[in-house]
Amino acid sequence: MKEMTFTIQRFDPAKESAPHRESYTVSVNDGARVLDALEVVRRDHDPSLAIRSCCRAGQCGSCAVRMNGSPVLACMEEAADGMIIEPLELPVIRDLVTDIAPVLQRLATILPSEVAAGLSREEVELIKPLRECIECLSCVSVCPALKVTDFAGPTAMRQEMRCALDPRDTQDRITEAIEKGLFACTTCHRCVEVCPKEIEIPGKAIEKLRERANRAGLTLPRHRAVAELIERTGRSVERSAATFLEQVPEVIEPDGPVKMTIGFFVGCMFNGRVTKPALDAMEVMKRNGIRVVIPHEQVCCGSPLIRTGQTAIVSELKRKNIEAFTSRGIDTVMTICAGCGATLKKDYDTPFTVMDITEILLKAGYELPAKLPITATYHDPCHLLRGQGIADPPRKILEQVVERYIPMPAQCCGAGGGVRSGQPEEAAALGKLRGEAIAATGADIVVTICPFCEFHIQEQTDKPVKNLASLMLEGYKKKDQAKGGD
Amino acid sequence: MGAIEKEECHVLVIGSGGAGIRAALEAAQYGETILIGKTIAGKGGCTVMAEGGYNAVLRTDDTLSGHLEDTLKGGAYLNDPVLAEVLVNEAPDRINDLLRFGAVFDADTTCTIAQRPFGGQRYPRTCYAGDRTGHEIVMTLLERLRSSDVVIRNEVAALELAKDGDHVSGAITSTRDGEIGAIAADAVILATGGAGQIYDISTNSTAGTGDGYALGYRAGAELIDMEMVQFHPTGAVHPYDARGRLITEAVRGEGGILKNALGERFMARYDPERMELSTRDVVARSIATEVLEGRGTERGGVWLDVTHLPAEQIEERLPLMLEQFLKFGVDIRTRPMEVAPTAHHMMGGLRIRPDCRTTLPGLFACGEVAGGVHGANRLGGNALAETQVFGRRAGEAAGRSEKESRRIDPDQIEAVEGRIAAYAEGSLRPSEAVARLKRVMWDGAGIYRDAASLTTTREVVLDLLSTPLFAASGPEILDAWTAGNMMLVAGMILDGALLREESRGAHVRRDCAVRWEVSASPYGHTFISPSSRGIEVLRRFP
Repeated sequence: MKEMTFTIQRFDPAKESAPHRESYTVSVNDGARVLDALEVVRRDHDPSLAIRSCCRAGQCGSCAVRMNGSPVLACMEEAADGMIIEPLELPVIRDLVTDIAPVLQRLATILPSEVAAGLSREEVELIKPLRECIECLSCVSVCPALKVTDFAGPTAMRQEMRCALDPRDTQDRITEAIEKGLFACTTCHRCVEVCPKEIEIPGKAIEKLRERANRAGLTLPRHRAVAELIERTGRSVERSAATFLEQVPEVIEPDGPVKMTIGFFVGCMFNGRVTKPALDAMEVMKRNGIRVVIPHEQVCCGSPLIRTGQTAIVSELKRKNIEAFTSRGIDTVMTICAGCGATLKKDYDTPFTVMDITEILLKAGYELPAKLPITATYHDPCHLLRGQGIADPPRKILEQVVERYIPMPAQCCGAGGGVRSGQPEEAAALGKLRGEAIAATGADIVVTICPFCEFHIQEQTDKPVKNLASLMLEGYKKKDQAKGGD
Repeated sequence: MGAIEKEECHVLVIGSGGAGIRAALEAAQYGETILIGKTIAGKGGCTVMAEGGYNAVLRTDDTLSGHLEDTLKGGAYLNDPVLAEVLVNEAPDRINDLLRFGAVFDADTTCTIAQRPFGGQRYPRTCYAGDRTGHEIVMTLLERLRSSDVVIRNEVAALELAKDGDHVSGAITSTRDGEIGAIAADAVILATGGAGQIYDISTNSTAGTGDGYALGYRAGAELIDMEMVQFHPTGAVHPYDARGRLITEAVRGEGGILKNALGERFMARYDPERMELSTRDVVARSIATEVLEGRGTERGGVWLDVTHLPAEQIEERLPLMLEQFLKFGVDIRTRPMEVAPTAHHMMGGLRIRPDCRTTLPGLFACGEVAGGVHGANRLGGNALAETQVFGRRAGEAAGRSEKESRRIDPDQIEAVEGRIAAYAEGSLRPSEAVARLKRVMWDGAGIYRDAASLTTTREVVLDLLSTPLFAASGPEILDAWTAGNMMLVAGMILDGALLREESRGAHVRRDCAVRWEVSASPYGHTFISPSSRGIEVLRRFP
């Protein structure tokens, strides 16, 4: 037995206007789950505490709650001293019980067929990963798109794709999925992160449905325009002034001895629209003994096409990019765009290692810059945080560059998944939420590593949004100035 | 009597697990059907938790008679043979219904549903979807349910069956917050599942509190073989709060082996022929004996080992087991599982005819709440089949019922309200009562039984039953009511166990010498109703 104190959000809408928190100290068995601790509260402190649970084995999805801000199944997650337990971010019936039935009622259903046709092994294997959903609605409760649109939610898309994959299905799931908000998903992957069954809804359902929509000629016109641009120019953005690739040589030698040689994949945004952070990053490499090889024939990684279901030419782009690096004998490729990085790591099968700039710097070691006299917060790009699992490296570097770092909870800015081009109002609404979160931190600047986030968030905040590499370079310059002044 | 919410319909289905949903889908073809359940539809019953599979004869080299013989032999010939025959005959049709509804079972190379071996069966006839077969069935049924005309009332509990004379005419209900209501119906189907929660160690969901047995009994229906409680051989042992959690029979079906603390593959001592794939009663007793005789683990279990199987087989066929154990810090690909028996399934229940009619007019029962199909021991894989076969039958028969008075007796509502009002004056907290009940039932009415311990346990239960329960707020009312149901059902199990002075299937009386082969037992069903109780004697004693 052990004692623990923890907090529960209590709320009875019939009696209170707003939720309040209460703390309880309970004695629980070793290895007790959150649900066990809640049941002890019910038994020993307050029998009126409303919780929902059934199977106690992670199979029915009744008991999802938030533990320290993130959804968990109460029956499977180990209870911890000091934990804060809240209901899912859904309409609350009472205490930890939320109103999930209306969402479930709207999930797509297959019409019964006349004959009992068995499925083939291959068909079963395709559907299975989408079939494990226990309808706990954790995904629905965290989805950023749902906060600003009437998107039916991640699991609704999973169910549409599950139907679409079934040879027995007779309905038009594409139109249905579009009506339910197929193009609202920013592919931020927050749903996968909280799913107790780790169902890859964006990759296995949403992007696949968008592919089917594409084959049916239902791709959004703005998405189609991007695809046409890539087909024509190999790039997803129109060039404004001189591109990054036009400004740099094929090989950038470092200032001092060579510690490491890497290939550099620049990505369309840094190549064509915001070249400065990429050029700054090259300076940072130079200063830290990293030789950078930049194949000039590299093209768009294909991410804007994959996210929007326009995959016809993706394999061609992949081939070109992979060849550009392998033909030069590169074994490590650096990305500085979160989206390109996630795509190269997850959608490509590369014969070389792909690393984000922060990973490269931490691996190679880097000279400490001077600390800038500012307060900064950090915005996690979804495709870095969840797409590549990188949370700490940028924070570690940032803390060395600025006087003060203030954390900010991660949430999608709304730029990804083709939403900025396809559903600009939704993107702006999500960006606005980020703007508010940034203001709440009180930071002077916001730092990020994704050109899409950077560009998009800047429209919704009066604080400067900066790339981490640019900030490092500022730190180096300050250091040099200080030396010069000695 | 205050103003209460009243509804009416043609068929009222109580219980929203696999059997209840199947029944409601069928009944809705005949008239307005309301489905109520203590939980959100599909989430509460044990169907969604069922892991291993669904038995059906699908291949030409398997036979219906073989399935029937296995079922009767596994049931120690206490099964109602007609019900068992219905089960095996219709199981293939009902799995085909599920296929038509869109179920995704694992398939073999010829687009036929894949099957695996389960205990006590001569042929590998257990259909599956990995180790989440019940979940697959429930998801399929929910898809149908959501696009049907069935009116779903989530988180509404039935407190009492309403009666108009002898006829069951609906139910008196309660919301989560203890608000009383009534639903009148021409016919009522009980599909409330089992009562494993009566035991301290159980696989059952929190909803498995035996409400249907209690409701049926109080309304005057007859129940049979309530002493027949299946202890699943393999429940989790650790951590303490997860004790009893089901470790599917599919683990043994896939080749898992059982070892005691000395490393001996002990099943060789108890059933050398079938080994780990013996019937559940035999395996559960073998494990219990190993532990009792000091060859168990420190925590009182034995080892269930799949580490000799290829990792891919475990990942593909037992993904849920792998995931659950990982969550508790054990990688079953490299370490054995610690297991011990756990209360799992009630073979007994309301006496039904093949069309699921109970002994009360207007009342039907299907799924675990009904008795007779499995006799004294259920074969793994026969329960999911039962939910579908008898769920459909109950729905059809209830649907074909004549229009009745649909009268709810105000006196009955008043009685319910009176009982609830009395909770304010009670002294025993429901949670305390239930905790005590679970412990005494595990100790006194578990795998091994004798008259002395059953009698002592019965006294404790009667004592609990006569102690007024306390409930202060709305939500506690349901807790108290449920606790009352659990005690009543515990009493029925004990009465049945005392009445049956023989060892048969899951019921082992250590104080009764075995004088006959189970197939030649003079005893038939035990029966319990408010007006009579006893045991059927079918033939002369030897």
